Amino acid sequence: MTRAEILETTRQVIYNSVPELEGTELNEDTVINTDAAIDSMGFTLVICRLEAKFDIRIPNRQWQRLRTLGDVVDAIETRLPK
Amino acid sequence: MTRYTGFSHLLASQAAAQPHAPAILYEKAGAKSLMTRRELLFAAQKRAAELCGKRAIFVLCDGSLENVVTVFGAVLAGVRVILADAGAQEDTLCALLEYTRADCLYCEDEELAEILTPHLDPGAPGGAGELLFFTSGTTDRNKAVVLTDASLCASAWNGSALLPLQQEDTLMCMLPLCHVFGFVCSLLWPLVCGAAVALGRGPRHYGDDCAFFEPTALSAVPLLAGFLIKHRCLNPALRLVLIGAGDCPPQLISALEAQGIFVSFGYGLTETSSGVALSLGEDKYAMTVCPEADITLAQDGEILIKAPTCMMQGYWQRPEDTAAAVTEGTLHTGDLGRWDEKGLLHITGRKKELLVLSDGTKLFLPEYEPPIRAALGTEEAAVIVRDGAPVLVIKDCGRTKAEILAALGPLMARESRARQIKDVITVAENLPRTATGKIQRWAIQQKVSAL
Repeated sequence: MTRAEILETTRQVIYNSVPELEGTELNEDTVINTDAAIDSMGFTLVICRLEAKFDIRIPNRQWQRLRTLGDVVDAIETRLPK
Repeated sequence: MTRYTGFSHLLASQAAAQPHAPAILYEKAGAKSLMTRRELLFAAQKRAAELCGKRAIFVLCDGSLENVVTVFGAVLAGVRVILADAGAQEDTLCALLEYTRADCLYCEDEELAEILTPHLDPGAPGGAGELLFFTSGTTDRNKAVVLTDASLCASAWNGSALLPLQQEDTLMCMLPLCHVFGFVCSLLWPLVCGAAVALGRGPRHYGDDCAFFEPTALSAVPLLAGFLIKHRCLNPALRLVLIGAGDCPPQLISALEAQGIFVSFGYGLTETSSGVALSLGEDKYAMTVCPEADITLAQDGEILIKAPTCMMQGYWQRPEDTAAAVTEGTLHTGDLGRWDEKGLLHITGRKKELLVLSDGTKLFLPEYEPPIRAALGTEEAAVIVRDGAPVLVIKDCGRTKAEILAALGPLMARESRARQIKDVITVAENLPRTATGKIQRWAIQQKVSAL
């Protein structure tokens, strides 16, 4: 799966999890907490859905480090089978 | 209801009275499993035997059955317990471990255990019955509150006296056990009442834990309760929700009540081993003081608490801070309150420069704001809370919101998600201040609300 495909899937998961963001532009530089206004519970939901979608597991203590959408894509990319 | 003197008394008495009654529900291999009261006692005793000879254990709280048994076992063994957040960053945990000193570790994450193990201290001091909770009262993470199993049991009894659970009840435990509200109100409260505790399966199961365990009661911080309502995660059998550790918006209470759930709102501090007042009537902001707490208001409205059975031993290795907070057995909370005509307590604000977010996280502003001002190169910036999250109010300096947030990026990257600035509001004038130059936060809050 390419990075662009991961990003697109991540976007869709966010739009489905936080419907009020539908129509908001989300790119790799989007800061999840501020630009996308996703609170910590919403973030948990998004990560859990991404884990299920990609069949990966991102350790809980890594979650705090995921600041931008690009960070999330990195975390997924490094855990996908090559 | 029995007043338990500590964990040993609690576990032994419950096991003797109703050995086969459920104490803990948990998930095992995808199915719901049960630990009886007798099994819980035996498991804790077994763990105590394993910990014999140890002096202090650093527990990474993951909310699992092993976590619970380890804490009970350690106290039974006379081992001092330090409760830490399993989701915290490695460097933070290393610093906390070095500060509080422990000679053994509970950590289910092998990679993390490997990082922490070199920081264990074979010469760590003991402290039978002591449990250390890190307070989020300041950004200084090295401030730990020393409580005891006796004070925690007293606190659980204190709340139960006003809001008892029935033996048939199951309380959903989804809060971190490293926070005193979680420990007392989602673990000890049901156990003290003879009810069962359903141990949540962590953040990945926030959405389906209630459907899986079918609890009748739940303790939650406002953010969690809001999430569960929004995503329709509450089960039909749920009849009671206790909300604490943060300001609770009225719409959240209404949404819960609309589902036929009785809502109680609690007020308390880590220093008092959790709650000292609870709302029991229709007005959820009017709270009855718990029987073991004596609350008075200072002339300026500050809430002063005397609660000898629940009061902390002090801040770990910080006698000056302890002396400043507790004078002659009275805790100066920094919170402001008033009494209504029925003699019920209302929280009206905070005297301390402290903001409480909707997940219970606290921001100690004298430490939180200066780096923000330094990063932005202005003194005309202040943080307030809006919708439970921190928002920066700043005098227009010609920079866009995106530029301001970018300037704060490196600073915010070091903060936990809840503590990161969520929005920026630009105002035209200087921020309102007192004659002595202190920021009038209430005036900013008022102004922003009107925007």
